[in-house]
Amino acid sequence: MSALLEVSGLNKHFGGLHAVRNVSFSIAPGEIVGILGPNGAGKTTLYNLLTGFIPPDSGSIVFKGRSLRGLAPYRIAGLGISRTFQLCRPFVGMTVFENVVVGGLGAHGSDRVDLDARALALLKQVGLLSKEQLQVEALSYGDQRRLEIARALAAKPALLLLDEPFAGLGSGEITDLSALIRSVHAEQGLTVMLIEHKLHEFMRLVGRVIALDFGEIIAEGAPEDIVRHAAVIEAYIGRGDEQAEEQADAA
Amino acid sequence: MFGKRIDFAGALGFIAFMAALPLIFGGNYLIGVLTVSVIYGIWAVSWDFMSGLTGRENFGHSLFIGVGAYTAGFLNTTFGFSGWWSLPAAMVMAMVFALVIGVPTLRLKGPYFALAMLSGAVIMQRLMLIFWEQTGGEEGINGIEPLIRSQLGFYYFALAALVLVTALLLALARSHWGLILRAVRGDEATCQAAGINVTFYKIASLMISAAFAGAGGAIYAHYQLQVSPQLFAIVTSITIITMVYVGGMASIYGPVGGAILLVLLTELLRNFGEWRLMIYSCTLILILFFLPNGLIAPTWRRMKSMLAGRE
Amino acid sequence: MLEILIHGAVSSAIYAMLAVGFTLIFGVARILNLAHGSFYALGAYGAYFFTAQLKLPLLPAALLAIALVALFGVVVERVLVRPMRRSQLAVLMITLAVALVVEQVLFLTFGSEYRNVPAFVETKFTIGGVDVGGQRLLALGVSVTLIALLWIFIQRTRLGSAILAVSQDPEAANYMGIPSDRIFSIVMGLSAALAAAAGVLAGPFLTVQPTMWLLPIVKAFAIVIVGGLGSIPGSILAALMLGYAETIVGYLISTSWTEIVSVLATLLMLVFRPAGIFGKRAAF
Repeated sequence: MSALLEVSGLNKHFGGLHAVRNVSFSIAPGEIVGILGPNGAGKTTLYNLLTGFIPPDSGSIVFKGRSLRGLAPYRIAGLGISRTFQLCRPFVGMTVFENVVVGGLGAHGSDRVDLDARALALLKQVGLLSKEQLQVEALSYGDQRRLEIARALAAKPALLLLDEPFAGLGSGEITDLSALIRSVHAEQGLTVMLIEHKLHEFMRLVGRVIALDFGEIIAEGAPEDIVRHAAVIEAYIGRGDEQAEEQADAA
Repeated sequence: MFGKRIDFAGALGFIAFMAALPLIFGGNYLIGVLTVSVIYGIWAVSWDFMSGLTGRENFGHSLFIGVGAYTAGFLNTTFGFSGWWSLPAAMVMAMVFALVIGVPTLRLKGPYFALAMLSGAVIMQRLMLIFWEQTGGEEGINGIEPLIRSQLGFYYFALAALVLVTALLLALARSHWGLILRAVRGDEATCQAAGINVTFYKIASLMISAAFAGAGGAIYAHYQLQVSPQLFAIVTSITIITMVYVGGMASIYGPVGGAILLVLLTELLRNFGEWRLMIYSCTLILILFFLPNGLIAPTWRRMKSMLAGRE
Repeated sequence: MLEILIHGAVSSAIYAMLAVGFTLIFGVARILNLAHGSFYALGAYGAYFFTAQLKLPLLPAALLAIALVALFGVVVERVLVRPMRRSQLAVLMITLAVALVVEQVLFLTFGSEYRNVPAFVETKFTIGGVDVGGQRLLALGVSVTLIALLWIFIQRTRLGSAILAVSQDPEAANYMGIPSDRIFSIVMGLSAALAAAAGVLAGPFLTVQPTMWLLPIVKAFAIVIVGGLGSIPGSILAALMLGYAETIVGYLISTSWTEIVSVLATLLMLVFRPAGIFGKRAAF
């Protein structure tokens, strides 16, 4: 099976800072891949490179056999990559329903049919149907997260990039959201990439982990293996941090 | 939906009212005032469509108005075309200008876009004076033919134009186009991430806004029978913005009421002739402080919900 | 050639005064003050009024005008601008409305004919064969002095450091015990005073009529964009560039093109290098 997303030799400098170093990996269709790494490791920069918000210095990004370099963000999104952001960014001044509809408006002509119906179906799936007429500012943070996912899905993406979806949520909300991601992944045959810090849920969700530190890939593999990987523990959790090691063991 | 029926009834009522006014009260003076107010209505609605929906306030709307007016003036006096050609021509010219100035300036943040557009209008005003040999300088272009000879006829034509423009832009604003523009106001980057070609929509809506502003300018030219560089003045843009604020930003129909209200009001205060501009500026300050959502649209919405509540 | 040098210097000095005030209030309080040109106009009209109507001698009249305009600036900031600070666009609209109101008041009070602001120095000097009005030289000298004094004030005094702190981060400055709100008012007053001083100095040789506020603000905006928002050295450099560009265009082509120079410069800068030459905050 050919890879859905193939990244090779990706590099990005910001002035003197080498934010992304020689990153190469590939994602097969249907996977849920997790990106792990401490703050400043380059995870969000990686997303920004993949979605065309910043241009790479060198390297290639191939999605469904097409090179993404040089394409504007809206073209890349149109090809089938949707993303959410670290901080919820709903379209303020509009209702929940309208937010999801706009999410699907970027799709090409043929997909616009029944956009309204699809928006409602998605809202039902994420559990926000009863709130569809509310202004987004009235939603709780957890609900806004769900809205972000519904909005991202409205474009019928092949690849969904989630950036710290659990940030700012309580443990009950995390479990619910995680279940939602899993069900969406199963039902729609979606491929998902996930950046997260909350290790516990993260490990249960992903099938494969790519660990980053200082812009480089330091480890790649199954969750259980990564978490015991020495370099990962040192980078991410820190040496001699017992509580964190316990957390890693429990995951 | 019930709300839509009230809206429709309201619109019909408004049109009937505006059409009946000159018949009831008569007199060319009233017809003249109403005609001017209707033209301002066209300008205000066209501004609201772009700036109200996207939140990118355009301080140089007078640029498109002036371009439309001068195009009409030139076509009529220099080339002898009849007034009916100048309307589409004015729209096209205004759209060209919108494209040229929009492409570089629409990437700028709010206040800088506003001031860049202002600068554009200032340049045009200057250029009209510099090339006075071709444009008539301060005097402008005189002797334009009226589009319709009868005062009342012209008024009904302008009113029809206003209704058409408002209906069109309202439909567009309520469609997916309007949704996208409002989302652009909410968060541009996220729109891009959702696959929307934001640049296209911003430029296109500026061009649409400009087209109708230019059309209004052409109508104005064929009404006043002369155009001067004063049309490009900042005062014109600010007056229109005040009308939109009074009417209610982003409502599209509100600015119609705002325009008519303000023009009528200042005509009533005619005795204070020189104080009119002062009144506009003070109104703007008061609205910004006390009624930032406007007067007309919120009042209409409240009336609607009261009526709906009764059922 | 020498003519261009001297007249360019005079223009640049006046523009620098205007631009520095404009960029100061923006750099410190993020206020794009479209009423800045009104302060300039009020300075000129104030000098005219106090000398022609109240028959005061020139120097006290000038100082009184500047002081009153500074006070006016503080009032505008406190009453009209501060409640609107949540939105830069709202501030823009409010200050524009103020500018229009001031224009109208001036028109209603003084009419639209050009008014005469008396000059400090009536005599003409001849430098290297070029005739220069003494007032212009005075304007040049005073402008340079005032800007230098401002620079020293900001760099060397405690209040100046407070201003710098607030310009970097008003909230943090607040936590340190610096009253940012009061600093905004003070800076607005300073900015207005500079503009008024420019009006008093340039009034004698530039036109004084109610609409005189618009072009200075367009040029101040142009200079500040070219030099970089919030940067005083940038404003001075850009003022020099624009002052000389205008003078040269005026000599080589014609004076009616001079206004367009600054507006075109702004537009081009906004398009190609929105941060300006020294600016840290880009326009997008």
